[in-house]
This record gives sequence, structure tokens and C-alpha cells, in this order.
Amino acid sequence: MIAFLARRLLLVGVVAWGAATLAFLLLYLSGDPVDLLLPLDASPEARAELRHAYGFDDPLYVQYGRYLWKLVHGDFGVSLRSQEPALGLVLSRMPATLKLAGAGLLFALVLGIPAGVLAALKKGGATELWVMTLALLGQSIPVYFLGLVLIMVFGLKLHWLPISGYGGWRHLVMPTVTVGTFVTASIARLTRNGVLQELRSDYVRTARAKGLAERVVVYKHALRNAAIPVVTIVGLQLGTLLSGAVITETIFAWPGMGRFVLLAVEQGDFPVVQASVILFALLLAGVNLVVDLAYLWLDPRVRYA
Amino acid sequence: MQKTVWAALLALSMGFGWAAGDTLTIAQGVDATTLDPVNHQETPTGNVTANIFDNFYRRLPDGSYQPWLGTAKAIDNLTWELTVKPGIRFHNGEELTAEVIKFNFDRLLNPKKPLKYSTYFKPIDRVEVTGKYTLRVHTKKPFPLFLTRLTYFWVVPKKYIEEKGADYFANHPVGTGPYKFVKWIKDQEIDLVANENYWAGKPKVKRVVFRPIPEASSRVAELLTGGVDIITNLAPEAVPTVNGSGVAEARSVPSIRNIFIVLDVKGKGPLHDPRVRLALNYAVDKEAIVKHVLGGFGVPVGCPLNPYIFGYDKALCQPFPYDPERAKKLLAEAGYPNGFTFTMSAPSGRYLNDRQVAEAIVGQLRKIGVKVDLRIKEWSTYVKQILNRKLDTDAWLIGWGNAQFDADNTLFTLLYGGTVEGGPPQSKFSYWRDPAFDRYVLQAQQIVDQKKRKELYRKALERVRQGAPWIFLHQQKDIYGVAKRVKWQPRPDELLWAFDMAIAK
Repeated sequence: MIAFLARRLLLVGVVAWGAATLAFLLLYLSGDPVDLLLPLDASPEARAELRHAYGFDDPLYVQYGRYLWKLVHGDFGVSLRSQEPALGLVLSRMPATLKLAGAGLLFALVLGIPAGVLAALKKGGATELWVMTLALLGQSIPVYFLGLVLIMVFGLKLHWLPISGYGGWRHLVMPTVTVGTFVTASIARLTRNGVLQELRSDYVRTARAKGLAERVVVYKHALRNAAIPVVTIVGLQLGTLLSGAVITETIFAWPGMGRFVLLAVEQGDFPVVQASVILFALLLAGVNLVVDLAYLWLDPRVRYA
Repeated sequence: MQKTVWAALLALSMGFGWAAGDTLTIAQGVDATTLDPVNHQETPTGNVTANIFDNFYRRLPDGSYQPWLGTAKAIDNLTWELTVKPGIRFHNGEELTAEVIKFNFDRLLNPKKPLKYSTYFKPIDRVEVTGKYTLRVHTKKPFPLFLTRLTYFWVVPKKYIEEKGADYFANHPVGTGPYKFVKWIKDQEIDLVANENYWAGKPKVKRVVFRPIPEASSRVAELLTGGVDIITNLAPEAVPTVNGSGVAEARSVPSIRNIFIVLDVKGKGPLHDPRVRLALNYAVDKEAIVKHVLGGFGVPVGCPLNPYIFGYDKALCQPFPYDPERAKKLLAEAGYPNGFTFTMSAPSGRYLNDRQVAEAIVGQLRKIGVKVDLRIKEWSTYVKQILNRKLDTDAWLIGWGNAQFDADNTLFTLLYGGTVEGGPPQSKFSYWRDPAFDRYVLQAQQIVDQKKRKELYRKALERVRQGAPWIFLHQQKDIYGVAKRVKWQPRPDELLWAFDMAIAK
């Protein structure tokens, strides 16, 4: 187990290096950002001066070496736009992203799992039809459309909720529903399929034969095994949510990382993009590790050595 | 007795009181990147800092400028004398003196730490303080744009920056302006409060909040529900909704930005013939484009300048009339009676309905037999192609906001052909080489006498009219959504200066 963890952590290091290199190369290929930073009519001297000040006129390997050397020392560079440390800028957007990701996931779990179990238990009935139809809708409705519809109904018409911004729980409602709907639908469908499959399996028949209460059969046995694919999807979705739900953040002016990084890409703010790519890679690696550990707990057959 | 009390209360409320709801919230697409007023390149940032700081010269709504923190006058071709208005203090109490102004120049001219606005002051050689409120600026060469560039000279405090450092300053700005900085929560809001001791008078609005709301429809929804009072970049399509709401309305102003199409990139083929380029100008129906594609939010223009810009000439800037017959005749004269085909690039989403404007032109030119192969380009790629002269089309559509409000920044910057011996090389944006034009715009750079400069630009515009290096389209309007309770008219320089604003009671 310890060997496994050590190996995985080492792998995280490799992932970070890979992400850092990829981020560097991709941005290098897209050309130096000086053209975007200065007005179109800036003099060639001004461009050269700025290029030199940022070191964009050095050969590739010198820039790469300097970049890695600084990274190893925890220096992610300074934002070209605001002249502030890039990592700090990205991290300062983290709380908002965590809040939205957490709320979205919670919403999805609390709604999706019971809905899935319900659909499985009431198979063939109207309840299943409703749950599955809503789930299909939830998975296929585009995020930007859902967000705008929510704004129109609950913000513009009913005046129940604030339209945009960051603050108390009321600001959180519409963004949460917007990011959470797709995940909720996925979880509901997977849970239903999983539970249905497990309910047909031998061990459930045995459990029922033993005379266990149906509640115990469903929740303790079937659901636990059905949870494995759900954990996988939650892990994947959490990764996406943590790197910032770009569209949702944009629609609701949510001050998270997704919107911030998108802007940095548009504006050619290299250090900020690089810092966030590395941070996202580490976050994803971390989530994957947690998912793998969750398998261990859920499925006794899984053993990591 | 009672009457006196009421009168006294009324007087008090008029003198000191601010009614409730005296907060004005402004929504822009993005947050500020810094609050250092001379180290950014974005209008949204400048809109915030313009309220905290003062510039040395101030732009007026008609595009001209006037002295603000002081006056400047030319002593000779290479020397300017500046006099600072006495008695002005920064929000922290620091006094504005000639020393502070010198510090500001030195900060901009420091080659080791160039700021984004440094480029505007390049011709300056050195600055010398001659008295508590007077100083002299020596330039390396004649600098006729000095006064207009002083509108970019936003003055920052010397002692405060020396004590706290530039990084701290950029997040906790202190200026001399009408509003004091309160707090900045990144990507959420920037709060300002009125500087009651503002030297130019007490601001009418007590609190100003800037909020970034990136999504256009969310901005409109916030405006309609009273969440914000002013929104920028209102789409023409949203104007009827806003005007029909009863709580807000669209207000617009012709901007400093002209939209046009640069022709003859390859320097050969049909577009190399001035008669063909003139024909294209007659074949494009500017009025129809403004009316149908821009919803009326544009003004047709027939030259590279517009009325805000020094050097503009009304007669020479009349839009070319829409006259397809004349266009066909010109094409026939040039040897293309059956038209020809050329390629054109345009961006999408950069200017007001830019893509649709380009598509409309393609349709209109087809009527005189000219086929256009239109290529829509992603902005950052487009910019690189333009700057490196690596365009793969014969023509390209672009907008130009002449930030200096002076013809030099359009005529020299965009059209100078580099034909003058010993003069500068061809501008990277120019594909037109007209020796007479080149001479005029170079001469206008060598003198500071504005009357003579204006005459030179008039002659230069004559050459442009005849040579037709571009298809001249329109001056774009800036559209804002404004709550009806807000008294304010938009400005051509895009600034959201809250000192101009008031809230109706």
C-alpha cells in the first residue's frame, strides 16, 4: 500500500513535469505574446524592449531551462497583464471554483443517487419513465442554454435570485443547478443501470434468500456495488468542475478559475496559463488518486500492491 | 419657527447629505488588470483608474483637449514648459508639485522597467524642475503630439510609491481624482467613494462600484432588474429590449473608431489600379450597412479620419455616394468590364457586427461583377498576420481607434508608404505608396505649429481621396445600456468618468 502510494506520488511529479513542458511548448508555438500586449501601433523598438524585458528573445532551450528552474523553486512567473505572481492570481480564484464544484457535486449526489435507485426499484412504472426522461433532458440540455433560462425565469421574471455575482447562498443557487444538472443526470442513469444489474445478480438472490430486509439488500449490497461506475464518473466530473466550469462562470460572472484562465489564454498571459495548467494537472492527478482509493474501499477484490 | 427648522434641514441635506441609493454600479465585460493608470492597455482598466487619477490634459467630449492638472506651452521646437496647478493634493495628503510630475516622467522613461504607456513618451529626452510648480521637458526631436499625449499622463504620487512600492500601489491606488479607492475584490468588484475635497468640485455620485460581467445577456438582465446602472458594449440586437423595459435605455455616441478595408496587399493585380479602388468605394452602400447591419449605430465616413480627430476635413471626408453605375464605368475604364475576383480577411466579434458587415460588402460588390472570397479569421492569428505583413488575402477589414485624436496616428501610422529618401521605412500597415502624401505627413511631424499641420493634413487627405487606398466604411458607435435614473451621456473616448454622472432623485 505504501509502495503504491509512493509510486503514485512519483507519478504525480512526472505528470506535473509533463504538463509544465506541454504548457510551455504549446504557448511557445503560438508565438510570443508581445503582439497582443501592446497596441497595434506600438513602435518596433517598444516591442523589442518588451520582448527583451520578458526574455522572449532568448533561444528556446534557454527559456525552457529558466522556466523549469524557476518552477522547481516554486516561482511560476509574473502575470504579463497585472505584473503580479501568476500562481497567487490563479490560487486566489480557487475558493470560488471549489465552492461551485462542491455545491454542484453535492447537488448531483443528493439528487442523482436517490433518483437512480428509485428508477431501478420502480422499473417499468411511470416513476422510472419520469426519472429517465428528466435524466436524458438533463444530459442533453446545453449548459449555456440552461443558465440563460434560469436567469430569465428566476432572475428577470420572478426576481427571486440575483442574476450574477458572488456572495451568499442565493448567488450560489443558479450556478449550482447549471453545473450540477449534467452530473446529476449522469449519476442518476448510471445508478439505475448499476442497481438493476446488481439486483439480478447471484449474491442479491442469496441475500434475499437469507431473508434480509429489502432495504438492506438494496442499499447495503446492490448500491455499494453499483457505486463503482458512479465513483468513476464522479471522479471524472469533479476533475472538470475543479478546473473551472468556464461557461457557467462566464454566464453568472462567477469569479472562479475557469473564466480567469480563459481570459489569460485570450490575452496571451503565458505565466498565468502555465501556472493554471500545472495546477489543473496536479488537481486531476489528486482526484484520480482519491478515486482509486475509493475503489479499494468499495470493492474488496481491488488490491493495490 | 417650524418653517426655519425645515429650511435649515433642507439646507443641510442639500449641502452635505447624499440621498439613499447613491451608489452607481457599472458593469463591464472584464475586471481591471491593475490599478496603475499608466501600465495597462485595456479600456475597462482605464475606466476605473480615470476616476481615481487625473491626467495633465483632459479630453473633451468633442475630441479636443484642455489643460487639467496644469498647462503646457512650447518654448521652442524641442522644449515645453509645464506649470502645475497649485494646491492640489493626493488622497493621502501628498501635494502635487513639479517634483511629482518629474517623478512621473522619469518612471515612464525608465528603460529598465518599461510601463505600457512608456511608448507614448518616447521622444522625451529629459525633464528639469525649474520651480515648485514649474518644469521643462526637453525632447530629442520635435514632438507635436506632446499635448495630446498629456491626456495619457495620469499622475501618480511620488512619496506613496517610493514608500509602499509599485506593486502595492497597483492594488491600493492613491490619486488626485474625484474618487478614492476603497477596495478591490478580484473578478468581483472595485469600490470607490467620492473625494469630497476634489479640487475640481464635489462629485455628485457618492459611491461607484465597477463589476465585471462577461456574458452580454447577463449584463442586460442585471440592468433590467436594477442590479447595475450602466452596462458597456450593448449589442444592437438587445437595444429594443432595453428601450422597451421602461427602466433603462440605450445611449450611444459615435466613437473614435473607424472601420475600413485595406486594399492592394499584393501590390499587383486589379486592386493596384486606383480606378478599381475608387470603383469599390462607389459600389459599397455605406448607408444601407449602417442602417441594416448596425441597426443605425454607425456614421458613414469617406476618409481615414473622423470629426474628433485633429486634421479632419469635412469636405474631404464626405462618404463616397453609392453609385454602382459609376463604379461599373470606372471598372470598364480600368479594363475590367466584367469584374474580377479578390480575397478578403475579416475578424469576427471584434467590432460591431464585423462579420456581417464584411458579408454585406461581399453581396454588394457582386452587383458590379466583383466576386470576393471572404475569410473570417481568429483575432490573435489575424493580428500576427497583420503585424508581420503575412496576410494571405488581397484585402483586410480592420477598425482603428485613433487613441491620440490626431491625424498623425492614422495617416502616418497606417498609410505612410516610405517613399521619402532618408525618411522612415514604410508603415507595417501601409500597402500604398504615394510620394506627395508621404512628404506631407512627414512634414507634419517636424513642426509644432498646429495651423500649418492642419493644412498639411488637408493636402494629405486630398491624396488619400484620389488614391483610395482603402474602402472607407463607417465610424462605429459605442452603445451603452443606462438606467433611466442616471444622468450621463457617453463620451467618444470610451471613458466612464463618474464625475460626469448624476443620479436623478
